[in-house]
Amino acid sequence: MTTMRRSVMWQRVNRVLLYTAITALFLAVVFPFYWMIVTSLQPQDAVFTVPPELWPKHPTFQNYIDAWNAAPWLRYFGNTFFVASASTLISLVTSSLAAFAFATINFKGRETLFNLVLSVMMIPTATTLIPNFLIIRTLGWFDTFYALIIPFAASVFRIFLLRQYFMSTPVELWEAAQIDGASRLLYFRSIALPLAKPAIVTIAINSFLGSWTSFLWPTVMTQSQDKQLIEVALNSFLGEKGQQWSQLAAASVFTTIPIILFFFVQRQFIEGIGGGGIKG
Amino acid sequence: MDSNRTQAQRKQAVRDNIAGWLFTLPSTIVLLVFTFLPAFIVVYLSLFDTNLVGQMDFVGLANFRQLVTSGDFWGSVFRTLYFTVGSVPVAVAVSLLIAVLLNSKVRGRTFWRMGFFIPYITPLVATSIIWLYIFNPDYGMLNAALHAVGLPMSRWLTDTASAMPALILYSTWHDVGFAVIIFMAALSRVPTELLEAAQIDGASGWKTFWHVTWPMISPSTYFVVIIYTISAFKMFTQVEVLTQGGPVDATTTTGFYLYEQAFGQMHFGYASAVSIGLFVIIFLLTMLQRKVTGSKVFYG
Repeated sequence: MTTMRRSVMWQRVNRVLLYTAITALFLAVVFPFYWMIVTSLQPQDAVFTVPPELWPKHPTFQNYIDAWNAAPWLRYFGNTFFVASASTLISLVTSSLAAFAFATINFKGRETLFNLVLSVMMIPTATTLIPNFLIIRTLGWFDTFYALIIPFAASVFRIFLLRQYFMSTPVELWEAAQIDGASRLLYFRSIALPLAKPAIVTIAINSFLGSWTSFLWPTVMTQSQDKQLIEVALNSFLGEKGQQWSQLAAASVFTTIPIILFFFVQRQFIEGIGGGGIKG
Repeated sequence: MDSNRTQAQRKQAVRDNIAGWLFTLPSTIVLLVFTFLPAFIVVYLSLFDTNLVGQMDFVGLANFRQLVTSGDFWGSVFRTLYFTVGSVPVAVAVSLLIAVLLNSKVRGRTFWRMGFFIPYITPLVATSIIWLYIFNPDYGMLNAALHAVGLPMSRWLTDTASAMPALILYSTWHDVGFAVIIFMAALSRVPTELLEAAQIDGASGWKTFWHVTWPMISPSTYFVVIIYTISAFKMFTQVEVLTQGGPVDATTTTGFYLYEQAFGQMHFGYASAVSIGLFVIIFLLTMLQRKVTGSKVFYG
């Protein structure tokens, strides 16, 4: 009896410890975001207070207005949205077509081509940055949106992932579709593609986020202000504003919000990673 | 009749060939032009002293001689390894702790998990900016917090000794969520019968963890370690925003060194040699990952 009561007590202590540990770790991880928001609401001179104020005494939205007016952010958002959507859409089309062919069409040279495509995976993007700079310039694409979209129009990882889906689609479906007189393209569009929806969603999110957060590539491949993507623009803004932390924090908040919203809407992204589907 | 069928079959085969090549063509072209071709061009460029806008002098293997003999490249490799050794064990320990806590019967798991994962998906530039403020030696939050609890303060990003630890702290914060997700998935795959059997045999929770759980999730641990190491060698954005490789060269890791030599110094030939060095390192790490996870997988 007493041992039982004891174990119940132990369990309670354990639960308290568990929640304390999780909450402490959680607060440590989330604190910088809290700090970003607090800083963005502080009047500029308040950010130099020692020790810093954990809660803004005189909160103001002026920083958001000032930061927003200090640069053509609408243009940057538009650029980023356009580049992210275009490269996601194009790469979905090209990858699913290729994956479909590799999975279901028995064509000459299929194995050789597939092995060639897989071998490309061994070449990291960091290695190809300099030659790609040369290629982009030779094509006359330097400082254009082509440079930000077309090189990402194909991905081995995406082809590989979609191929797995198409391979698991029963052959009987294709045979039945043929009897009904469907062409290959019609079968692809109306049967195979809808069945691969989970993979397509994962890839779309992955690709969109990748474009939205890209930094090194657009830094190297673009120059003029009207071609700038959001992250590059934010870094330039840091260069201009130096220590005006409240405006910098405001700009960080409004450039990050779309990502966080997007993430809350699409939780599948996490599930996709948990399944081991990762490739920078 | 028979020849009719073979003719139809032949027709089908031709159609299959055309469809197969047409469907794969767009991807193939893009991969050839922007990944395959560059792999050869980078080797070619590494044999020249070039700024890509006129000067193009053949120098043979001189760039590689410089790569191997001058200390700069090895210095950057050493700093990348310093970064890795400083960040990976901490990231693994913390993420595993979080994953174990979340995998016990805890309420609101989705909520907690999301919180731990958010830094990983938020852009590096935006979050680096707020950490730049947090790290400020004079009025930053970190020093204020250390001071409040009586710990020594630091110059953080502005001192050659503490800049790398600061970079490690930021990057660990940003990337820890990735390992949390991997470990949560791995832990959920550990068969409960094994854990129960260990408990019946009287093993403590701690012992069960070390003798059952830890070996069972080892493939995920290797995976996380190697992925983090590879991404350390490719790391660029946070270095550019937080330190620009400084002070002096205290945070010039290999990825940043490559960028700096190419687009900062315009030494495109030498930087191509650095690219190849980086490729060799990443290649070896990838092989190691395949070998290690290939032989010890418990994906059941």
